Amino acid sequence: MSEYSVVGQKVTRVDAVEKVTGAAQYGADVHPPGMLYGKIVRSKHAHANIRSIDTSEAEKLPGVRAIITQDDVPSGRRVFATDKVLYLGEPLAAVAATDPDIAEEAAELIKIDYEVLPVVQDVMESIKPSAPRLHGDDTKDGPNRREITGQIRELSRDKENDHSDAISKLEAELEKYADEVYYNISAESHSEAGDVEKGFAECDIVVEDTYVIPRVHQTYMEPHVSVASADSSGKVTVWASTQGPFAIRSGIAGTLGIPLTQINVIGTTMGGGFGGRFGVIITHVPAVLLSQKSGRPVRVQMTREEEFIDGRPAPGCVIKLKTGATKDGRILARQALAFWDSGSVSGASIGSTIRVRGVYKIPNLKIDAYGVHTNKSGTAAYRAPGAPQAIFAGESQLDEIAERIGMDPVKFRLMNMREEGDKVPAGGEEPKVGYKETLEAVADAAGWWDREADENQGWGVAVGDWTNGCGPGGVYVSVHEDGSVRIFHGSMDITGTDTAITQIIAEILTVPYESVTIRRGDTDSAPYSTGSGGSVVTFTMGNTAKLAAEDAHQRVLELASERLNANVENLELREGAVHIVSADPPKSISLGELAAYSLSTTGGPIVGKGSFARQPSTPALAAQIAKVEVDPETGRTRVLKLVASQDVGFAINPMAVEGQIEGGTVQGYAWAMMEEMQYNENGNVNPGFVDYRVPTSADLPTVESVIVEVPAPNGPYGAKGVGEPPITPTLATMANAVKDAIGVRINELPIKPEKVVDALKSNGH
Amino acid sequence: MAKHPVALTVNGDEHDLLIEPRKTLLAVLRDTIGLTGTKEGCSTGDCGACTVIVDGKAVTSCMVLGVTVSGKEITTIEGLASDGELHPVQQAFIDTGGYQCGFCTPGFIMASKVLIDEDPDRSEEEFRHALGGNICRCTGYTKILEAVLKAAKQIRTST
Repeated sequence: MSEYSVVGQKVTRVDAVEKVTGAAQYGADVHPPGMLYGKIVRSKHAHANIRSIDTSEAEKLPGVRAIITQDDVPSGRRVFATDKVLYLGEPLAAVAATDPDIAEEAAELIKIDYEVLPVVQDVMESIKPSAPRLHGDDTKDGPNRREITGQIRELSRDKENDHSDAISKLEAELEKYADEVYYNISAESHSEAGDVEKGFAECDIVVEDTYVIPRVHQTYMEPHVSVASADSSGKVTVWASTQGPFAIRSGIAGTLGIPLTQINVIGTTMGGGFGGRFGVIITHVPAVLLSQKSGRPVRVQMTREEEFIDGRPAPGCVIKLKTGATKDGRILARQALAFWDSGSVSGASIGSTIRVRGVYKIPNLKIDAYGVHTNKSGTAAYRAPGAPQAIFAGESQLDEIAERIGMDPVKFRLMNMREEGDKVPAGGEEPKVGYKETLEAVADAAGWWDREADENQGWGVAVGDWTNGCGPGGVYVSVHEDGSVRIFHGSMDITGTDTAITQIIAEILTVPYESVTIRRGDTDSAPYSTGSGGSVVTFTMGNTAKLAAEDAHQRVLELASERLNANVENLELREGAVHIVSADPPKSISLGELAAYSLSTTGGPIVGKGSFARQPSTPALAAQIAKVEVDPETGRTRVLKLVASQDVGFAINPMAVEGQIEGGTVQGYAWAMMEEMQYNENGNVNPGFVDYRVPTSADLPTVESVIVEVPAPNGPYGAKGVGEPPITPTLATMANAVKDAIGVRINELPIKPEKVVDALKSNGH
Repeated sequence: MAKHPVALTVNGDEHDLLIEPRKTLLAVLRDTIGLTGTKEGCSTGDCGACTVIVDGKAVTSCMVLGVTVSGKEITTIEGLASDGELHPVQQAFIDTGGYQCGFCTPGFIMASKVLIDEDPDRSEEEFRHALGGNICRCTGYTKILEAVLKAAKQIRTST
């Protein structure tokens, strides 16, 4: 079928053997001679003033080699809390010792004197003027209270359909504070298209609901770790478990005031990231400081509990959403008001609220979003940051409208989807995207059109969109005398991207995949590379690799032209040799011979260089259908079928692409049904796998993946980023299936058994 | 802290060690012997990343103290391939794409090997439940189950 011989094939990944034999080296496997073990001393309270930190007892413990606090940060940039802690687990100091158990003992010997303060964990509580303030008067200039209450009042008009009264209660509460100012709002984002008021007025049906999405942890299996070694010349080497070594280099330089060239970051094999492995302060900076102070290499490795209390998880949020449609099924207006829980620092992906618009023609749209402080750690990206939350609200509400107007949910979506050439809200025109193809593909594969459901069974559908990012990257390609090809670059492999790069270069140089090897350099040696997040790698590094291979290809033809006495235009590279087109008898020279010849030329060896920064990509759609069975006695939901299709542009390695679809879908399933970081006035209360349940193989059936290929004009071979889209629709897919099964909608995730039982009870069961 | 003599066999090699009683088997394997293929994912026995084989049984090595395994035979992921040939379970994980980041993979392979040795005729559903002590965050388990079923079939037909 394929016109290609290497791309588009299910090749064995380049890292296959090292991954199944235990040879792959992850961060915690690095052990330089003389290495010490670091331990971070953490706050035991969720909100407290710090009166004093006493390290004297810990210093006396044999084996302790360094203790650091904020006083040891020469740049003064905040690494450790000093006078106030804002969440349970916030770092206050760090210890390095000759043994991990000694480091832990020493950490416990450091005495912290706390003055405990009132705590706020719920965004809807935190936006009240009476809430405990996290940052003193710092956020006084946040948006004015009157404007927010106005929006809330407007959105709260339709009380009939509101399954949650949080917003209306809040409205009443806010009336008491007419002249006060909000303190815990960290950020805001607003956008508008058309005229929502006019739009809603023209609608036959208006539905309004409040959706509550919990904070969840990326739960990469490898906890954060770094090993730092500062030598006497001031040179700092950091083995970092990270998605972006170059970002870590600049982060350390900026935080500690060390020149870039004095820092070498070596990216170790990454044990999962999902967006959560970009942070600099978490382990890398403390490791460097401890190494500088002790004069020894130091490893700082988080435990799983530390991951939960001081990781940077995905933000939870409360989204009030209102959608209006005509009775013949046209969506005319949508309005959202969202409060994102950004924890103790700003940075939650509040701008993603715009994703409630989905992939539909909605002429009138208004979005208002706020980031709100609570006594939790800060947040970070998690696979399509912000999109699963917003799309959960948007796609759940679409089903409610479809039901009221009596339309099939798939047909309703197909009818409203944007088409090529449509105006895009952000400006410009809609490119060619397989929105309808992808939804139709999943409906066909799942058997949607002749679906059957026994008692307590139900079907749910949802779609989600995401567009891959882009960023700078560089790749070198060398051709050797034996005809083998070597790639050199600096981007972290994110579960198969090194393989995709290798396939692209093998394709262009027409050599067997097996004769191409790929090496990653550290930040001292490799050309700059953007971080491996945002589904950028195959798109960015794939394009970069293509340019490098084409550059090498050009040099190969020049060399062959000299050797074969033929014009470049009459030459063709195929099957690893350059041939004179239509020569009789055939005349050719192999890549290996050309590489050997190149060493004695004035032009030199065959080295191709690719350097690339950005091109716009096109959106990728993920469409999913679930069939579930709910036990009304226990409230337990069992998945009977889960089918996921995705427009991937072009699947460079279909096996890896399927893996991304399956893995992302299961993460979405878990967010819908199982996962939730829980907090009380003491902080996070479920920091482990017993209380924070992630799915095991026993929780799910096989995920059926369906690849749809509508090429992206600027992607390598038409490829789009595939990692993030599959998590975006699953939250709503599951909620819609449960609603179909039990007849009651649950808008507060996760849909745990007790919520199902409560929902059934409140519905008269 | 006082150290205790421990003699154990790991992947066929005998080790005479002096270890503190608070050190887990995982710590002994990784820090004392230097076999880092076995991974630490939670230290509470919940994720299965540290699974090794002790006298034929799959064990989460973070939950076993090193001093308790004296005299026992231990196999880690590094000891599974023999004569340069991957074990059928390892090969099946490659063939089906049953790994992504690879961090949980050693534990999954060791747990799967024991399950297949015990009973290669288990159904997919039975393997799904039997592997419930191992967590993978990347694959969604679909391709892991393909790998285990493929390896089980191969081992069943070759014995």
